[in-house]
Amino acid sequence: MASRKTYVLADGVQVRRETFGLLFYNYRGPRLYFLPSKDLFDSDFFNGHQSAADLIGTICTRHDWPRQWIEDRVEQVLTLLKSKGLIHGQSIC
Amino acid sequence: MANQYVEMGLSAPVNVTWEVTYACNLACIHCLSDAGRKRAGELTTTQCLRVIDSLSDLNVFQFNIGGGEPFMRPDFLDLMDYAHGKGMVTCISTNGTLIDEEIAGRLDNKLVYIQVSLDGATPASNDPIRGRGSFDKAVKALAHLRKRDIDVSINTVLTRLSFPELDSLVELASDFGAKLRVSRFRPSGRGARSWSQLNLSRDQMLGFSHWLSEHLTVSTGDSFFSVSTEERRSLGLNMCGACKMTCCISPEGDVYPCAFLQDEEFLAGRLPQEEFSDIWDNSPVFASFRELEIKSCESCHRFDLCHGGCPAIAYHTQRKLGLPDPGCLVNCVTVKPMRAKAV
Repeated sequence: MASRKTYVLADGVQVRRETFGLLFYNYRGPRLYFLPSKDLFDSDFFNGHQSAADLIGTICTRHDWPRQWIEDRVEQVLTLLKSKGLIHGQSIC
Repeated sequence: MANQYVEMGLSAPVNVTWEVTYACNLACIHCLSDAGRKRAGELTTTQCLRVIDSLSDLNVFQFNIGGGEPFMRPDFLDLMDYAHGKGMVTCISTNGTLIDEEIAGRLDNKLVYIQVSLDGATPASNDPIRGRGSFDKAVKALAHLRKRDIDVSINTVLTRLSFPELDSLVELASDFGAKLRVSRFRPSGRGARSWSQLNLSRDQMLGFSHWLSEHLTVSTGDSFFSVSTEERRSLGLNMCGACKMTCCISPEGDVYPCAFLQDEEFLAGRLPQEEFSDIWDNSPVFASFRELEIKSCESCHRFDLCHGGCPAIAYHTQRKLGLPDPGCLVNCVTVKPMRAKAV
C-alpha cells in the first residue's frame, strides 16, 4: 500500500532536476548526492504538496510499468533519502 | 561514482566562485588575484543583483565569494542578504580585518559560511606573509564570529612558510570551534612572482600528503586531489570541477573556468551583457575545457584518485593545458628514493 505521507526537504537541503535524475545539495554536508532516478521524481515533489501515493498514480499514467514495481522503487528511493537525512515525511491529517 | 553524472553535464554549476572586487586592504605576497585597488569596470550594485538573479534562476546552490577583500565593497552585506533571501548559500573568503561585532551580527544567517585567511598560527609566522597586524585582526574576527556561532573555518594557503604551521593552525582553529581548510598555492597574480620562493618542495608535498591522510577533518576544497591518498577518497571529488560543476565570475563580470585561469584565452563570456545560462551551455571555452584529458596520466596507478590534478597549475607552470599537475604525488614518490641514493 503506497504511503499517504508527503515529503519535504530537510533543513539546509536543496534539490534540482538533472538529466540523470535529481541532484541534492546539503549545506551541512556531505554536500552533494546524485540520485539516478531519471524522470521518476520531479524536484517539486519535495514541496510537500503531493503524497507518495499520488506520485505513484502519476507515474502509472506516464509509464507502462507494473504498478508494484513503481511502488517498490518509489518507497526504496524515499527510504534511501530519509536515511541520508535529505528529506523527511509528514503525515496528511 | 558521482563522476559519471558530472560527466553527463549538469544544467548549471553547483557553486560559482565570485570575486566581487579587486579592492583589498592587505597585500599578501601569494595573492592569486594581485588584489589591491578597486578597478574600473567592476560590477555595480544593480549589475550584481542581476548576477544573483540569473544564478538563482538556474538553481545554483552556492556562491563562493572572494576577491580582493569582499567587505571592501560598501554594498557587500546587502548583496549577501539578497542572495540569502533567494535561499543561496554563501561561503565568504575574507581576511577578517573588517569584521567587527556589528558585521558579525549581519552575517548571523544559517546560509553563511566564513573562511578567515591565516597563513601562520602566530603574528610572527603570519604577518610577514599577510601584513603587519593582520593576525590580531583576523583572530578578533574569529572571536566575533564564534560569539555568534557562525560556521567558520581558518583558510591557509599552503606554502613553504605555512607548511610547518599546520599542526598549530589546526589547534588555533579548534580554539574557535572552527576547522582548518588548506588551499593550494597557485602561480597566478602575485603568486606567480613568489612561486619559486614559496612553492613546496617535493619532499614537503609528500609530507603534506601524509599529514592530510592523518587529518581527515582538515578540508581542502578538492584542490589537492593530486596528492590525495586512499584515506581521503570519500571526502570530495577526485577531479577538476571547472566548467563541469563550477566556474568563476570576476569583479568585472567576466566568466572563466575557475579563479586560477583568468587569462584572456579562458574568457568564456561577459556578464551582464550575456546570459549566464548561455555561457554555461554554449561557450566554446567551457566546451573545450570539459573535453580536456590529461592523456599522459591515464596509465598511472593514481589516475583514479586525481585524473591528472589541477589543470591551472599545469598551465601556469608550463603554459599549456592537458599536461600533468607538477605537484603530482607520483613525482614526489619517485624523487624521494633518487635523493636518498644520492646521499
